[in-house]
Amino acid sequence: MAQQQIGGLAAIFLDEHLTVTAATRCREAGLKKFDAITPYPVHGMEEAVGIRRSILPYFTFGGGVVGLVVGLWFTIWTSAYSWPINVGGKPFNSLPAFIPVCFELTILFAALTSLAAFGYMCSLPKIDPPMIDPDLSSHKFAIFVPSDDHGYDAGKLEQMFKDLGAAEVKKVAVF
Amino acid sequence: MANHAHHDLEVKKFVAPSSLKAIAYALLAIGLITFVVGLMKNQERAWTSYLAAFFYFSSLGLGGLFFVAIHNIANSGWSVTVRRYAEGMTSFIPFILIGGLVLVAAGKTLFPWMDEAVIAGSPMVAAKTGYLNITGFVIRIILFAVGWFLFKWFIVGNSIHQDTDGRVERTLKNVGLSVGFVLFFALSYSLFSVDLLMSLLPTWYSTIFGVYTFAGLFQSSIAVLSLIIIYMKRKGFVKGYVTHDHLHDVVKYMKGFTIFWAYIAFSQFLLIWYANIPEETEYYIMRAQHGWLGVSMALIVFRFVVPFIALLPRGLKRNESHVIAVSVLVLIMQYVDIWWMIYPNFFHGHMVFGFWEVGVFALFAGLFLIGLITFFSKFSLVAVKDPRIQEAINHHVTY
Repeated sequence: MAQQQIGGLAAIFLDEHLTVTAATRCREAGLKKFDAITPYPVHGMEEAVGIRRSILPYFTFGGGVVGLVVGLWFTIWTSAYSWPINVGGKPFNSLPAFIPVCFELTILFAALTSLAAFGYMCSLPKIDPPMIDPDLSSHKFAIFVPSDDHGYDAGKLEQMFKDLGAAEVKKVAVF
Repeated sequence: MANHAHHDLEVKKFVAPSSLKAIAYALLAIGLITFVVGLMKNQERAWTSYLAAFFYFSSLGLGGLFFVAIHNIANSGWSVTVRRYAEGMTSFIPFILIGGLVLVAAGKTLFPWMDEAVIAGSPMVAAKTGYLNITGFVIRIILFAVGWFLFKWFIVGNSIHQDTDGRVERTLKNVGLSVGFVLFFALSYSLFSVDLLMSLLPTWYSTIFGVYTFAGLFQSSIAVLSLIIIYMKRKGFVKGYVTHDHLHDVVKYMKGFTIFWAYIAFSQFLLIWYANIPEETEYYIMRAQHGWLGVSMALIVFRFVVPFIALLPRGLKRNESHVIAVSVLVLIMQYVDIWWMIYPNFFHGHMVFGFWEVGVFALFAGLFLIGLITFFSKFSLVAVKDPRIQEAINHHVTY
């Protein structure tokens, strides 16, 4: 994916509760594209930022169903049609013997589909992502508002974040 | 958490509605009468019904204690507010000793290995009399039932006493006790299943049998736990402490153990089907004749496929009426499963179900309900002084 050249405003917080409050305020102010960056999952952040549930599980389910069908078709086709082999006098088309294969393929397809969908949705692998603050992966929290967000007003936002107790508010050139 | 202020936390004293009490005692009375009349009119039916219902409710009682124990061991915080419900289920455990000893009176009506003629006629059964004999059977029942009772007494006792003194050591003590219980339970419940169910066909054996019955035990216990959670919430006895997030996580167990049951059931079947050894296959052949094949298939569909798909979407795990429907299905199928394990061994392999089974089931259902009502009326519905209570109150399932 082409790197988008978007600047914006980032507010750094030292407290997770303040970050959640700031995110709530941003959502209430009508901002839509802003994001929260935290070193660990913060309870209540999804609701505060207004993130809806990911569609990833549907990819997993779809992958699983495809895996199941492929497993059934492949085992039945190989064992009963393409190259029938008599094993212990059992019928060529013996469903119990195929179930482990179908199960494994269901899991494999579901897992690989999830991984691929996850990578695509997060545009991974990203070799050199822009960095707002190196400490965001250890003990700091940030709210980032891109400049093309609805109702973006750098001055107003900066004042709001400062009032909420942000440790630092800075303009980020490229994100 | 600052933005998650839980201002409406409330635990009311549980007062059982008189209708619920009446139902419980009516079930007990109907059951007692059915069982006594059954013993006079139709002994075999009375005993097979008794065994099915006894095993069913013993499993639910033990399932409650198992739920408590694994969460104690894992030092889990989220489950603290629903733990008392599971502890309530253990109030059936004292009845296991009496119920188990009554079972001895069934003698050779139920257990062919108690019949001298069967032993004399079958070298395979004769070779197993070192384990399958009445003395051993009675000793094992007493040992298991007393062991379970003692673990229940101390583990649940510590939890209840903590409500008044709030001592943290009680939580720590319960970790060791729970480890002991789980180890004891693994062996004892396996052998309990072997004695009560597998020995009905003494020539047959399956080494995974105890795991199979355990899978059913946990799946059905979680169904009961979910029903209690929803009941207490809807009747307004507990507010704020138990949320949809708790229900969601409890129901995840139900889904997980639905899969686990299918996995174990299939593992048992696959090896027997593949090896095709006569003394192993007889079990499944009996369950493929005289209409039992339909029940076997119904188990796959209604004990695995339907609950699995019904519990897959996230929203449905948080939907109370949906969870009630699935829990009832799981509880019905747990009975069908036990019935399916017991009944093909009797009545010349024909399918039998009717008034006697329902009546004797009511006897134990009544006992179980009375146990729950008594327990919940006596103790707080939430372990309010558990040191991890804050973690449980703030429990939140992310997407």
